Amino acid sequence: MSGGMNGAVRIFADYTGDVHERADVVVVGSGPGGAVVAHGLAAAGHDVILVEEGPPFTPDDFELDGARSMARTLREGGLRATRGYMLSTMQAIALGGGSLVNSAICVRSPQETLDGWCSDFALERTTRADLDPHYDAVEKFLGIEPTPDDVQGDRNLLFRDGCNALGYSSEPIARNVRGCRGSGECFTGCRARAKQSMDISYVPAAIAAGARVLTSVQVQQVTTAGRRATGVAGQVARPFTGELSHRVRIEAKVVVLAAGCMATPVLLQRSGGLANASGQAGENLQFHPGVAIMGVFPERTHPEFGATQGYQSLQFIPEGFKLETLWAPPGVFAVRLPGIGTELKQRLAEIPYCAVWDAIASCNRSLGRVRARRRGMDPALHWRFDPQDVQILKRALQVLAELLFAAGARKILPGVGRLPEEMHSLDEAEALRRHDLRADDLTCGGNHAFSSTRMHGDPHRGVVGEDGRCHDLDNLYVADTGILPRSPAVNPMLTCMALAHRVAAGIAERI
Amino acid sequence: MLFWSLMALAAVAASWRVFRPYAAPPPGLRALGARDHAFVSAASEAMFPAGGALPPGGESVPGYVDDFVAERPAQLRLLMRLLFFLCEHATIVFPAPGGGGRRRFTRLPVAARASYLQGWGESRLAARRLVFTSLRAILTLAYLGDPAVLGELGLAPMAIDTPVCPADLLWPRAGRTREEIAYGPEDVTVPGAGSPLGPDS
Repeated sequence: MSGGMNGAVRIFADYTGDVHERADVVVVGSGPGGAVVAHGLAAAGHDVILVEEGPPFTPDDFELDGARSMARTLREGGLRATRGYMLSTMQAIALGGGSLVNSAICVRSPQETLDGWCSDFALERTTRADLDPHYDAVEKFLGIEPTPDDVQGDRNLLFRDGCNALGYSSEPIARNVRGCRGSGECFTGCRARAKQSMDISYVPAAIAAGARVLTSVQVQQVTTAGRRATGVAGQVARPFTGELSHRVRIEAKVVVLAAGCMATPVLLQRSGGLANASGQAGENLQFHPGVAIMGVFPERTHPEFGATQGYQSLQFIPEGFKLETLWAPPGVFAVRLPGIGTELKQRLAEIPYCAVWDAIASCNRSLGRVRARRRGMDPALHWRFDPQDVQILKRALQVLAELLFAAGARKILPGVGRLPEEMHSLDEAEALRRHDLRADDLTCGGNHAFSSTRMHGDPHRGVVGEDGRCHDLDNLYVADTGILPRSPAVNPMLTCMALAHRVAAGIAERI
Repeated sequence: MLFWSLMALAAVAASWRVFRPYAAPPPGLRALGARDHAFVSAASEAMFPAGGALPPGGESVPGYVDDFVAERPAQLRLLMRLLFFLCEHATIVFPAPGGGGRRRFTRLPVAARASYLQGWGESRLAARRLVFTSLRAILTLAYLGDPAVLGELGLAPMAIDTPVCPADLLWPRAGRTREEIAYGPEDVTVPGAGSPLGPDS
């Protein structure tokens, strides 16, 4: 057993034996939820230990090749997928969690969406007005600002032009970025150190405020005594291989789970079905299924330059979808291109002339579940695509096609089964409207997982209350996207951080 | 008697088909066996043939796929190798067009391999299309993982000056020791101070 901590941050090489620590609060997971909680409580003077299964990354660790990057930074090598309807979904394993490899999109949930949460989930303090002070605090801390034009690049500005041509609203995406250079490398780690991912923002700030950080520790169980959580237990996990070694035990007065909406329910299940009197832990799993269309333009668009996702349109939020620009490492980006042989090679050669725009949909009828597998801490995921939600994406595909042609695309590649691989005019794109679209026709990405430990005012229908505290235990909290009661209508990171900010404030008051 | 003789013949033929040896793969493979390597090479040749806009899928593809498979969890490694096995032998059920279309995939001419794969991609069965999409995804990742191809596209990684931020003083590269922390306080620079990147920069 080790004595105190060798410095504020422990890395894998620091563990020479079993670890036993005590703190006021232990926070599991260093992504946007956990990092905000750890900072908030450390800044309030509490003794905090932040635990992360992944290692810290430096820019020298970033792999620019998409597949190699995914193997290092994402769980299950980036190939995690649901059963039922197969939806690929990505969860990071790194200090900073998903913020290390996401596009840094920060959007406040619309008032109507939050009003809907309140009325449908018996919530009383989760209106936009209630959350605005927390949004403000996070935005100020991270320097969240709209993406400036000088780093948009052609493919983002073409989106703006398309929206203008059709009279749709659009705006530069606000991001947790300071000094973006438009390298388009958000997905593989920002070499320009502009993205304010948690590992270079909230986590160092938490450390400066006195928090201790244990990286490379896999938490496997929440320990309890009666209605109280007493801490967490787990093992040291070797970076990249996950090989387990020394035992780790942390005793704490308060336990906060922010391991992500896949890992948190697994942890609760591994802890003897904890916090599940409602039967909702691990249920209600939702995504923002996303579709994308590639447009090919007459001139080079230099898609490798510009903010990864720099422009968006919220025009269609009432219809259930949001439009965005998109870029990814070429290999990852190209896996959806159709064809084979010289035809496929020709399409690959057109990448420098392309712009890819996507739609993410609020699919509140399409629910799934998270279960612990027989062994290990990876989840077994099941998700069903409701046919009515498929129609939201059908409409989104039509709008994306219109936008691309309005922006001057000479052809589009819709990527929809049972339809032509290329369309060269709006008339041809009419096929998208006439198509009897089925879920199997789509190659969707499972963006933004949430709601697997949902917040509900009624303890019989949700896992946590509005303060993030589990209904069944006095001192166990959840502060990741799992607590969102349903889709936030937009990218969930900022709302997750705002809720985490509120959770931290509530814990600080209670202890 | 005739029935059992035919069954025995079929069993011998099936065994020969599955266990007939493949050419020895290059040394140093981490995850792929001889059959996997032969299949990936043959599929790459069909997917990215010579001619047209970009270079053919060369030797780099099987090597990349080997790394790709090796770096995934054990269960996924198995699934990917099963995918290769399935595509190699499913010519029995879904033969390639032309004579001898039921031979192993790796023994088909390039054009027949391409037609066979195209058949999977255009199948009415969603599961079959999914198999094709998965295979094409792996091969495309590998093809575009080749610096020569990226260079041809003008998409080779750009050089970026990476600032040193205060967090870089807290930990070393992933998996390294504390003594390997590369920077001290004097190295910290202003983040994001460079000018926007673009085709003319």
